[in-house]
Amino acid sequence: MYDPLQATMRVGASGLEAQSRRLRVIAENMANAHSTGRTPGSDPYARRVITFESQLDETADANLVRVASVEQPRASFRVEHMPGHPAADANGFVRMPNVDLVVEAADMREANRSYEANLQAIRQAREMITMTLDLLRTT
Amino acid sequence: MQLFSIVSRHNQWLAVRQATIAGNIANANTPGFRAQDVQPFEMAVAQARLAMAATQAGHLSSGPADAPATELRREAAWETSMSGNNVSLEQELLKAGEVNRAYRLNTSIAKVFHRLIMTSSRI
Repeated sequence: MYDPLQATMRVGASGLEAQSRRLRVIAENMANAHSTGRTPGSDPYARRVITFESQLDETADANLVRVASVEQPRASFRVEHMPGHPAADANGFVRMPNVDLVVEAADMREANRSYEANLQAIRQAREMITMTLDLLRTT
Repeated sequence: MQLFSIVSRHNQWLAVRQATIAGNIANANTPGFRAQDVQPFEMAVAQARLAMAATQAGHLSSGPADAPATELRREAAWETSMSGNNVSLEQELLKAGEVNRAYRLNTSIAKVFHRLIMTSSRI
């Protein structure tokens, strides 16, 4: 049988990886909040959303998490009136990315919170291993 | 000597519980994931001791006597989000703290008893 405390570490690590991928996608969205197209009427940057799925690890008999997909949800772009812009159409309108910085910031906080919780689970498992090892120590 | 066996079994159960909690935390943002927990340890012990014999066909079986303590069950959760996920991080961290405390207690007991035995054998 696989050591449950080792399994805890593995599960926690999978959670850390998933949450850091999520943070990366959020950072991409924030960085590209004003990335328009280059030619008139072209599409700007489209917001990306990460989705997770549960995955059963056969050897450890534990529920890992992994990134299911990074999708671009169909949401309409904002339109701004900037006649001098290279991406402006005949009427002077530029299509802007559908990124809302407030939504991204809230998402980032949640990713941060989940990351911390995973870290805490790993820390506790490590502490439990240390406690077991301490039994060997002669006092 | 019975004590060491109970302590190690309880610690094993706690380790499995910690792994389950870690799985819940890792899947805290997975749509449709339901939080899990292991069967209580008292129940696992009771199942191991109270194996009723079915001498007639009509008797209800009490389940296998050596039921593993790692059987998962659905957890009564504090909240369910829109995505069908019912993992509450606060609840999971609370349980993890509980596991940690019990583990510390067990290892301390084992350590004290070990010291006791060592003291008596030194005479």
